[in-house]
Amino acid sequence: MFDSISFLRIIKTGVTNFVRNLWLSMAATMVMTITLVIFSTLFLLFVLTNYSINTIQNTVDISVYFKIGLAEEQINTIKTEVSQDSKVKEVTYVSASQAFDEFKAKHENDQLITQSLNELNENPLPATLHIKANDLEDYPVVAEKMQSEQYADFIDKVNFEDNRLIIERLNKVLNFIITFGLALFAVFVLIAVLVIYNTITLTIYNRKEEVEIMRLVGATNWYIRGPFLTESMMYSIFSTIITGLLFIPVFTKVIPAVTNYVSPDVSLYNNSVFNYAYLLLILFGLSVVLSVSSTLFAIRKYLKI
Amino acid sequence: MIKFENVIKKYNYQRALDGINLQVHRGEFVSLVGVSGAGKSTLLKLIIGEEIIDGGKIFIDDIDIAQVKKTDLPYLRRKIGMVFQDIKLLPRRTAFENVAFAMEVCGHRLDKIKIEVPKILDLVGLLHKQNSFPNEMSGGEKQRVAIARALSHRPVLLLADEPTGNLDEVNAAEVLDLLMKINQLGTTVILATHASDLVNKIKKRVITIEGGKITIEQQKGKYKL
Repeated sequence: MFDSISFLRIIKTGVTNFVRNLWLSMAATMVMTITLVIFSTLFLLFVLTNYSINTIQNTVDISVYFKIGLAEEQINTIKTEVSQDSKVKEVTYVSASQAFDEFKAKHENDQLITQSLNELNENPLPATLHIKANDLEDYPVVAEKMQSEQYADFIDKVNFEDNRLIIERLNKVLNFIITFGLALFAVFVLIAVLVIYNTITLTIYNRKEEVEIMRLVGATNWYIRGPFLTESMMYSIFSTIITGLLFIPVFTKVIPAVTNYVSPDVSLYNNSVFNYAYLLLILFGLSVVLSVSSTLFAIRKYLKI
Repeated sequence: MIKFENVIKKYNYQRALDGINLQVHRGEFVSLVGVSGAGKSTLLKLIIGEEIIDGGKIFIDDIDIAQVKKTDLPYLRRKIGMVFQDIKLLPRRTAFENVAFAMEVCGHRLDKIKIEVPKILDLVGLLHKQNSFPNEMSGGEKQRVAIARALSHRPVLLLADEPTGNLDEVNAAEVLDLLMKINQLGTTVILATHASDLVNKIKKRVITIEGGKITIEQQKGKYKL
């Protein structure tokens, strides 16, 4: 659309406009920054809460301990029966000897336990079934079934850790984040759009004479519009940079702390979804859409070309 | 070079131009005379595509202006220079910068601008004032800078809308002399004015407009109103 000289001149004029109305430009940048900070906070809270819920959901399972010495055949029958239940997603069988080996491996550095184990003649650990249900609501039902008369002769104990309360709470938090956060975000989007719209309108007004002359001496329409778009791009760039800087501590401290608390084994920080650059890109995209669209509105309304 | 065919222009249902037929040839100097509101400015604005016609046709070098796309209008305007009664110089730029501005926005390179602008300012006789700001110059000098700006694209046609309207006799004469000089160098000039003494001095083609119509046409005319 332009040769490089025109392009550079457009950028230069845009930067000059930004600097000439420095206070206004700063106000526009600040409002945009606040909007981006709200968006990022919302986004991160959403992802973190969601992640926590998923992680906790994954840890929920039913452990069924068989009576010691129960025949392998009998166990297999029960395992098959359980697997056929439509509510059950997955059944993992850990035999008594497997459980014993795992236990030994886990405590191989603990002399006291190793010694005690060596003194035992037989395996004190029961064979176990780990059951995962399809739905969170299915766990109590499945657990109850395992505890029923039907299995009373074979099963020693059914262990079911009910995390539903925590998950319910987290879901409530998530809903709150979504509703309240989106409302707040919408308000600030509106404010940002209005402030940028007004700032650009003022710049257009300040440069009325210049624009008129440009038109009369044959400047192309995009050459006239370009500086205003450059100015609004500068709001986007600066607000993204500021927001990015503000969120560095969040990424280096807060997120690792939270993910470490929720699931010590997995580092969410390395997850691509949580990539810092990815967030910056989203922020920049969002701010460009907001500032450029409000600028285009102002141009359409006030820039007579 | 310019041809008006039964051109009609309305503002709020009132005909500002009512069936104008006119032909201007390359290299001509045409004076467009008439009282304020007769339709002189409207006619000039139609030529640069600033206003859109409501009837008839306007051709510039066989190009129908109505067919020119909005995005191509700037390129048409680069072929046509225009000066105004209110001069329209940028107050915070020097004479040099005002002329350079017109070249900059059209994408000329800086080294070319540095060579061309002094030449043009020299042509209008203001090279010594190139670093003066508009408020440091007389009305006539300012208008001559505006003419220099209009000439910066080497236009084939120069439109002057009441260029001497705000000037005293001496300054007006200066500006008029300059327009005639430019015409002698080959640029077609159309001068819209209501100053009778100026027109009488030129002794060139005069077209009189009254109420949006051409009433009198003289090849070497005088102002007759």
